[in-house]
Amino acid sequence: MSHNDTIPLHPSSQSDIDEIESLIHASVQSASLQGPQTVLPARPPSPPRASIPVSSSPFIASSIPPAYHKPVTSSTPVPPVPSEPPVSSKPSIGSNGFGSSTNTLTEPVWDTVKRDMSRIVSNLKLVVFPNPYREDPGKALRDWDLWGPFFFIIFLGLTLSWSASVKKSEVFAVAFAVLAAGAIILTLNVLLLGGHIIFFQSLSLLGYCLFPLDVGAVICMLKDNVIIKIIVVLITLAWSSWAAYPFMSAAVAPKRKALALYPVFLMYISVGFLIIAID
Amino acid sequence: MDQNQLQATGKNYANPKTCFFHVLFKAAALAFYILSALFINSFVIIFVITVLLAALDFWVVKNVSGRILVGLRWWNEVDEQGESVWKFECLDHESLARMNKKDSWLFWWTLYITAVAWIFLGIFSLIRFQADFLLAIGVCLSLSIANIVGFTKCRKDAKKQIQAFAQQTIASRVSSTIQSAFSVV
Repeated sequence: MSHNDTIPLHPSSQSDIDEIESLIHASVQSASLQGPQTVLPARPPSPPRASIPVSSSPFIASSIPPAYHKPVTSSTPVPPVPSEPPVSSKPSIGSNGFGSSTNTLTEPVWDTVKRDMSRIVSNLKLVVFPNPYREDPGKALRDWDLWGPFFFIIFLGLTLSWSASVKKSEVFAVAFAVLAAGAIILTLNVLLLGGHIIFFQSLSLLGYCLFPLDVGAVICMLKDNVIIKIIVVLITLAWSSWAAYPFMSAAVAPKRKALALYPVFLMYISVGFLIIAID
Repeated sequence: MDQNQLQATGKNYANPKTCFFHVLFKAAALAFYILSALFINSFVIIFVITVLLAALDFWVVKNVSGRILVGLRWWNEVDEQGESVWKFECLDHESLARMNKKDSWLFWWTLYITAVAWIFLGIFSLIRFQADFLLAIGVCLSLSIANIVGFTKCRKDAKKQIQAFAQQTIASRVSSTIQSAFSVV
């Protein structure tokens, strides 16, 4: 999830700080009855002040509060939130006029929804579809999210359960449990092999690679012929494995690639069998 | 005097709609799960709808009510080196102080109560050896706990940050007072 816009050191915060500083100065000055008013606009070199450290260390940078919310009597106009949410009860909750819309804390709800949805779509395109311009695959799934995998697993389980004529709930439970537990165990496998992969990133990847199998399951549900099922499952299986391969292999040392990839194939093959065997 | 009126009604919930939605999905997931056993035979439907409601609740709490009711937000990023970084975001000190007490009380307590309720239901399922219901409960429980852990860490981070900032402001005020004292002289 790249909230690059929330590395919040955008210029207006500096002037806000200056404004607040000048207010403090002004109050101190007025208490002392005289002396030149030192109300300044943005002044570049500063005495020790409450400055937000512009550090690139991730943890400190992350805990920097967003742009100061101005005191009530400020004369600076609060910019209107540009993307006013459409009128439907839930999304309209979010706009509470706190001003700057460059941090995610005060964005309207609709923006969050759109952002998440677009992330799902972009992740899907990145992982599953052939993309010759894809950058280093190990880094490609930076913005991992678990919504896509969640939907795909549920969808696959539902499709399998729908196709089954008996024992529908068992089929669903088995499919869900195998996929969920399988993804976790496969991730642990890569980590234990000394690979460098983030836990959630790998879960996300394995979930997105289920998309071809979802498609295959839908086709198999519609056409009941065994031969067609086998062909479809083989094709989608190959597609899933092809999609998962670059990420998994980039994560581990070259000697251990097979050890990392084999369980992935195994899991997808077992799901493929499940799809074929259901009638 | 609208500001004063709003402050006066701060005794009540400042964001009733958000509070409502915050509670709605949690309660719906729990209620559906408990009541569905009475009239729905299909486990699949129970599972899917319960987990869907729990996931929606997770999203609402993380992205909407966390921001609006307590001014906190957390997420995870993968940085350039490929390391996973947990990011926390909070409103600044003044806005946090202005947060409605009832809102935040509701927020935290419903979070905890939901987790406890799921644990309870999990124990029931264990006793009855219903492994598939345990699966559903496991998913819902992990979603609740993820939110609790995330927001608790965020709150601690916010407190640390406020302390650090307060120290800095005190230091800068002291220095500016000294400066002005010298300039007066």
